[in-house]
Amino acid sequence: MLSGPILLACLILQFFLPWWIIGPVAFLFALWRASSGKHAFRAGFSAAFILWFCMAIIKSFPNHNILANRVGQMFMLPGLKLNWLIMAFVAALIGGLAAGLSAFAGYFWRFLIRRDT
Amino acid sequence: MKILKATIILLLPVALIIILNTKAGSIPPLGKFFDPYRGFWNNAEQHATADDAIPLKGLKGDVKITLDDHMIPHIFAQNDYDLYFAQGYMTAMHRLWQMDFQSRYAGGRLSEVVGEKALELDRYQRRMGMVYGAENMLKELEKHPEIKAAIYAYADGVNAYIKTLKPADYPIEFKILDYKPEKWEPINTALLLKLMSATLAGGSDELYMSNALKKFGKETIDNLFPDVPFRADPIIPAGTKWDFKRLPLPMPPDSQQAEEFLSSVRTRQKKEGIGSNNWAISGSKTASGYPLLANDPHLELSLPSIWYQVQLSAPGSNSCGVSIPGAPCVIIGFNQDIAWGVTNVDADVLDFYKIRFRDSAFKEYRYNNIWKKTQPRLEKIVVRGGATITDTVFYTHHGPVVYTSKPARFSKAQNVPQGYAMRWIAHDPSADVATFYYLNRAHNYSDYRKALTYYTAPAQNFVFADNENNIAITANGYIPMKWHGQGKYLLDGSLPENDWHGRIPAEQNPYVRNPKRNFVSSANQPSADNTYPYYINWEFSGYERAHRINTRLTTMSKADVDSMRALQNDNYSVLAKEVLPLMTQLVNTELLNASQRRALNIVKNWNMKFDAGQIGASIFEIWQKNLYNRIWADDFNDKQAFMRFPSRDRTVELLTREPASHWFDDVSTPEKETREDLIIASFKTAVDSLERRFGPLNKKWKWAYVKQSRVSHLAKIGGFGSGVLLNGGSKTSVNALGESHGPSWRMVVALGKPVKGFGVFPGGQSGNPGSFYYDDMIDTWTKGKLNELLFLQSASQKNNRIIRHLTLQKQ
Repeated sequence: MLSGPILLACLILQFFLPWWIIGPVAFLFALWRASSGKHAFRAGFSAAFILWFCMAIIKSFPNHNILANRVGQMFMLPGLKLNWLIMAFVAALIGGLAAGLSAFAGYFWRFLIRRDT
Repeated sequence: MKILKATIILLLPVALIIILNTKAGSIPPLGKFFDPYRGFWNNAEQHATADDAIPLKGLKGDVKITLDDHMIPHIFAQNDYDLYFAQGYMTAMHRLWQMDFQSRYAGGRLSEVVGEKALELDRYQRRMGMVYGAENMLKELEKHPEIKAAIYAYADGVNAYIKTLKPADYPIEFKILDYKPEKWEPINTALLLKLMSATLAGGSDELYMSNALKKFGKETIDNLFPDVPFRADPIIPAGTKWDFKRLPLPMPPDSQQAEEFLSSVRTRQKKEGIGSNNWAISGSKTASGYPLLANDPHLELSLPSIWYQVQLSAPGSNSCGVSIPGAPCVIIGFNQDIAWGVTNVDADVLDFYKIRFRDSAFKEYRYNNIWKKTQPRLEKIVVRGGATITDTVFYTHHGPVVYTSKPARFSKAQNVPQGYAMRWIAHDPSADVATFYYLNRAHNYSDYRKALTYYTAPAQNFVFADNENNIAITANGYIPMKWHGQGKYLLDGSLPENDWHGRIPAEQNPYVRNPKRNFVSSANQPSADNTYPYYINWEFSGYERAHRINTRLTTMSKADVDSMRALQNDNYSVLAKEVLPLMTQLVNTELLNASQRRALNIVKNWNMKFDAGQIGASIFEIWQKNLYNRIWADDFNDKQAFMRFPSRDRTVELLTREPASHWFDDVSTPEKETREDLIIASFKTAVDSLERRFGPLNKKWKWAYVKQSRVSHLAKIGGFGSGVLLNGGSKTSVNALGESHGPSWRMVVALGKPVKGFGVFPGGQSGNPGSFYYDDMIDTWTKGKLNELLFLQSASQKNNRIIRHLTLQKQ
């Protein structure tokens, strides 16, 4: 399992570093351990997806989702009570894509470094 | 090859991350924005209840702050510096983005944040002299050390709060627009006060009036735009004796050449909804035997809310009410002994002067038969993602020449004539905060009168009541001394006779104390009857609200807080009373189809109240507006010269007293139309338009659905506004709630021992759309109710509405 360590590292590092740290983290873990491009992307994507989704709703629940619902409307969603869920999915997707693609690239660099040595 | 491939593959995530970290047009940087750690999720507030102590540098002592169930801070400081420091700190905690955005708006610095699309607006604000005026205010503060200290202490408090912020904590609008809060400067406070002048005393009709004068001639214009309305209910009761020695009046020049001005923009009806009500009734009319005071200022409603509630207590003062986010002191409120409120005077304090430049270098202009030099002032406008622009504004002794060439498509500039200098009170040195500073500390009538003398602009009707059973009202501010009608039209800037001739002495501004009728009131109507010796303006707000308030107050006895509240929410339309019976009577039912007949029946039986559920209100409002347009549009919509229509008051006079007037004829048709023709045509249009919009007569025709009141976000961000509020009220009712403008704060104060205050505004204390306190008072406001204002006597006083204690600790 590669996504577990990525998730844990991102979970901790994001407290101190900007959001894009999930990219380098996923990249490095994939460089180290990924067995295929697909494996790397899945691991990076799922780790950030789960982390961002959970963190988003952890912050949103005590707020009764007031803000996430409003932000949904800002992004042209109708005034639904479940906007917050869509917003959490969008957040998860953004994080997932950034980390997934980074991990994918990490796998190819692993490949490159191995061949050279 | 491998290296190339791996590099290309690496570029994918790098590019994605860069894109997600960058603002694109009005879309925030999505990665940053959706990041659950530092993005918008972090602005989702929880119910915080834990008491807290915050160490801060700069304080002279500890400040105790009690927060009540509406998150209103009750600040207890040991000295004035700490008091205003804490006010700045708490206001920033709740309203930092609003303060930043509004002061940028006022000072013409929005382009720094949103880029080129705000450039024309920024240029306009700069060219209007907003920054120039604010700088003059700061200079004037040198003469008022205690006021200067308050403004600087407030800034220190705001900056102390900003220092505690990490990017993750920035208000959400900073994240959406992707910029950072900057240090708060005292000039921002001055800019925000200038913005009030721009809103309340920055209008000008003289360009339209001059165009109309040129087209129709003096006799017609005097008739259609009279200096005195055909019936009035002035603020100072008619017949009040003026107990001062009159100054000689200035004289107009022998010849006056009003310059015409060409413009191809369409005429609009005069904007209404910026006005206010206030009144005070003496103890002889109340149940308690003590006075009652009420105030509801009408402005363009917004979220975050226009006002910020606060209680400010330090040795020597304890006041409570609303403040302007960005400025120290309570602006409208009360203390143990007195209460006060404000409405707009509508004095003419902005005039345009035709400037004859020597040549196109704009360096010299003609004045009193000599060439005088202009002063160039450079305005640097920083544009995000673009080059910094330097704009030169030429200042004459009148003031800035707003446009030497006018922007083609910019609606705010429509009423500004090209090549004219602007004489505007907001440019004059002033220390208006002093008035509020001293009112916060006032104990009686003479303190009130003294405090008013510091006030310049925008001129306000300051209503007053105290615990010694005094009531009073003063049309207060710097009101220029003018010859009669000076500034009704564009002025020739080369004649000294056209300059302002000093001011009406502050103590001679219209005022009355304890009048026989036992109440004082104002609703932006004329300040005084024609016995008042000086000229203030030729036109004020319409008659309706003022007359309704005075009628109801006259008959009131044994009044209590609830009678005041009910009057603030009064939806009755004096306009309907004056014209509706005539209008319905003149509709020939034989010319109507079945649904028009049904609609006529409804409007005939309507109770003339703009209540949310009234269908008659909807029909009448669209009907009378359409009628008004039909009467005047053919004559005053000129594609060459921009004009305005005669007032609603004049139109009422025309309808009710001049049935055969030629103005009813539509000059664009060969036929000769009559009053009856227009009334029936506009009635049909009104019913047809309602049918088109809402289908055949049904409950969707109810007034609230037709009017669609709402409170929008300040930067019009979707989802951050209130949504449609199903409220009654109209621009011609005491409850002057239109679509976007209306009562921004309703306050009733019951003087007595102890004094009790009640109030509500359509929003909440917090400016954060992710706070439970962003709009928690809207419901109360919508229902026309008031909250009792917690007025604590000490920081340790117990009350079950207190939810949290904060201590700002001296470090």
